[in-house]
Amino acid sequence: MAEQSDFEAAERLSARRTRMLPMLAILLITQQGAFFASSGGDRTVDHVKVSAWLVMSAVILLALLTGGGWIYPKRVRDLANDEGTQVNRLKALRTGFVASMVACLALYFLSFFEQIQVREAIHIVTTAGLAAALVSFAFMERRAARDG
Amino acid sequence: MAERLANRIKEKRGELGLTQAELAERVGVTRKTVNTVENGVFVPSALLALKLAEALNVPVEELFRIER
Repeated sequence: MAEQSDFEAAERLSARRTRMLPMLAILLITQQGAFFASSGGDRTVDHVKVSAWLVMSAVILLALLTGGGWIYPKRVRDLANDEGTQVNRLKALRTGFVASMVACLALYFLSFFEQIQVREAIHIVTTAGLAAALVSFAFMERRAARDG
Repeated sequence: MAERLANRIKEKRGELGLTQAELAERVGVTRKTVNTVENGVFVPSALLALKLAEALNVPVEELFRIER
């Protein structure tokens, strides 16, 4: 049996993650807004904004795929990513995939009427998928933690 | 007709005087996973069902049943 502290740490990690997920989604969407506000810019600050969004998207995707909490010991991470959490994460990834596909279809339709830059389309599809997955995961984790 | 997996975890847990967190620790999962199984939100794997039954000292078929 694991040490008591491992379980407490796993519960804390799980609760912290649940609180952070909607904030990450808001941050991601805000960054998206910043990109479109300066779309087409070639200044250093524009490159920094795009790079920040790219890094953040990659980190969020990795966190969704692995469960995150990389600074914690493996035992704590395994506990925090137990069977119930894994199922919630997989459902959230499925929701994210559907959101990305819907965004793709919507952009394809929109492209008949307006020219869309490849980079803009990638931003929208990626953000839609990741934000939907984050919100979905947060919703299921909150529901799971609620006393029944 | 819809089928669902009903359980007696709350009842058996109460008999042993265990909290959800204590049962979770015995089984090696988080409290919220025990909570979702207990409330029928999440259908556990055979492995987790057997672990729960073992932790509550009851046969698995006594802990879970199919409700039609």
